[in-house]
Amino acid sequence: MDILFLFAMVIGFMLIGVPIAISLGLSSIFFLLWFSDTSLASIAQTLYQAMEGHATLLAIPFFVLASSFMSTGGVAKRIIRFAIACVGHLPGGLAIAGVFACMLFAALSGSSPATVVAIGSIVIAAMRQVGYSKDFAAGVICNAGTLGILIPPSIVMVVYASATDVSVGRMFLAGVIPGLLAGFMLMATILGIAIVKSLPKGEWQGWGEVWQSFREAFWGLMLIAIIMVGLYGIPGVTTGIFTPTEAAAVAAVYAFFVANFIYRDMGPLQNDGGNVALWRKPHAVLTSFFHKDTKATLFEAGKLTITLMFIIANALILKHVLTDEQIPQKITEAMLGAGLGMITFLIIVNVILLIGGQFMEPSGLILIVAPLVFPIAIELGVDPIHLGIIMVVNMEIGMITPPVGLNLFVTSGVAGMPIMRVVRASLPFLAVLFVFLIMITYIPFLSTWLPTSIMGPETIIK
Amino acid sequence: MSANYAPSTAFGRIINNFEETAIALILGLMTALTFINVILRYGFNSSIFWGLEASLALFAWLVLFGMSYAVKVTAHLGVDAIIGMVPKRTQRVMALISAVLCLIYAFLLLKGAWDYWAPFAGFQQTGGRWFPEGFIKTRDQGWYETETIPMPEWLRFIEGSFNAGEHYGKLPRFIPYFILPFGCFLLFFRFVQAAWELVQGKREALIVSHEAEDAIKDVRHMNAED
Repeated sequence: MDILFLFAMVIGFMLIGVPIAISLGLSSIFFLLWFSDTSLASIAQTLYQAMEGHATLLAIPFFVLASSFMSTGGVAKRIIRFAIACVGHLPGGLAIAGVFACMLFAALSGSSPATVVAIGSIVIAAMRQVGYSKDFAAGVICNAGTLGILIPPSIVMVVYASATDVSVGRMFLAGVIPGLLAGFMLMATILGIAIVKSLPKGEWQGWGEVWQSFREAFWGLMLIAIIMVGLYGIPGVTTGIFTPTEAAAVAAVYAFFVANFIYRDMGPLQNDGGNVALWRKPHAVLTSFFHKDTKATLFEAGKLTITLMFIIANALILKHVLTDEQIPQKITEAMLGAGLGMITFLIIVNVILLIGGQFMEPSGLILIVAPLVFPIAIELGVDPIHLGIIMVVNMEIGMITPPVGLNLFVTSGVAGMPIMRVVRASLPFLAVLFVFLIMITYIPFLSTWLPTSIMGPETIIK
Repeated sequence: MSANYAPSTAFGRIINNFEETAIALILGLMTALTFINVILRYGFNSSIFWGLEASLALFAWLVLFGMSYAVKVTAHLGVDAIIGMVPKRTQRVMALISAVLCLIYAFLLLKGAWDYWAPFAGFQQTGGRWFPEGFIKTRDQGWYETETIPMPEWLRFIEGSFNAGEHYGKLPRFIPYFILPFGCFLLFFRFVQAAWELVQGKREALIVSHEAEDAIKDVRHMNAED
């Protein structure tokens, strides 16, 4: 029962406005000082070890940085142009292109709010210009933006992998098919609505535009190829080259070069009247490293990393409490003792995460819930990778479930409309994602097929 | 609850600039170090053997140094669902209670950080479980070294005071660990400031509801008119 008190403290603190990280940390400290003989010194050590002892989590700042360079470097507008060139001529074309652009951007960034801001700000404005209602536009982007954490690379997956010791590479691969599936389901829904309501469609601008826009977007999209080839190699030619952390660092440096020297939308070669060619200003090779834009991007990424990692580090203190008290074992015994079946278990996981996902930052929540449900899942024969994907999809939906889904707030900010209107606007697509969640939960094949066929069957250690 | 922060004095600007530069620099160094190591390993079959340990230590520095900065500019994430529903007066009371809780957190962590770091630097731990009740005799662990990070020659002068004149083969641990007490002290200090601003009515809350709040402000004008 002590443990219920612990969680009551966490939730109580959070609701009165204590930062999430400190709610987690302070409740754990109180608990440890009252009920165990752990000293404050060892709690401080846990906090330090959260960074120093987790080489996997080191991928987070690098992925955040890569995505920051891509966002400030102007990759969003190039991706959107490419998406419009590809699917803009279909009924409801611009909306479908918005989903497509969200999927592509999700593959460059690991965060859902970042995807909504980068793609949403441009696409919502464009959609309104050609006659879509603001509500429809906001609803589409709000939902499609959640793909950010499902399509690899994904920060939430890195955290799950670190919490449960499964391979980051497998998790990334497992996200590919579900990510594509969710995207296509959203697109098909829009197409259906568009045909019924005869929404505007764009002009087909010819293959020339597709090719042109692809060449423009290519350098941004190459990032996906670098990460994927680096992690998994080219079948038949080479095996994987990087660890996920290295891949993330390479991605960050690559994004820096693309932003500064190819797109030149930031850094020393940026110029409002047309960007300067490198040969006209060769010293930019050196100055770019110290340019104020580079510093600003590093700083923004650093700030985001700090707030995320501060939550993760404190969630690790809480996890420490749970393991010390053997809570996972106790819950597992109780659940299995009550004759819990796989289906009921998966429903329970869904419900916990849907509720939790509304309030909590996804990485922190994963870190707390994963150790609790993981042992039960293994006992019941649920595949760890499959469980991970279920958790990620639940987080996604938690982000757009009223009353307090995170993406709802972000979209409401980006679109400049009240939260309740965003909620109503996103409901039809939310229904689609719910169907998607049920499919993902009960068809393990969707998540496990790709990683198993590329990386071979996994070994599950109980 | 915006995350807009503008330093009001010249000193504030210098400090702010220092903090932002430090955050950017640490992240830049981590990235460069990891990237160079990848190039060396696959391109030249060699490596900076202390690269990983140093990146991880820098990672810890980034977060533990930055957590106080995030308090200053109100960047820590929180839940504002309930806060948004209650009247202004209740909001203020809740914010003040939160501030007290944050101060308790920072204080306890500061004690823990000192107790953890002190032996590595040859200082005394504090007694007491919750509150520091004087110093207690602690075994000096100044000889503890990091696993791989080399000892810079110009730092040798510390050997006299921290390692009883003994030679350090690698960088001693108390140096990377120093960020623990230092970062926790800054955190405590920033919470004292934040609490004081709350009392004075210059600040409304300690949290933002999501990470993209700043970015949204930049793009808001694009869809502002209805």
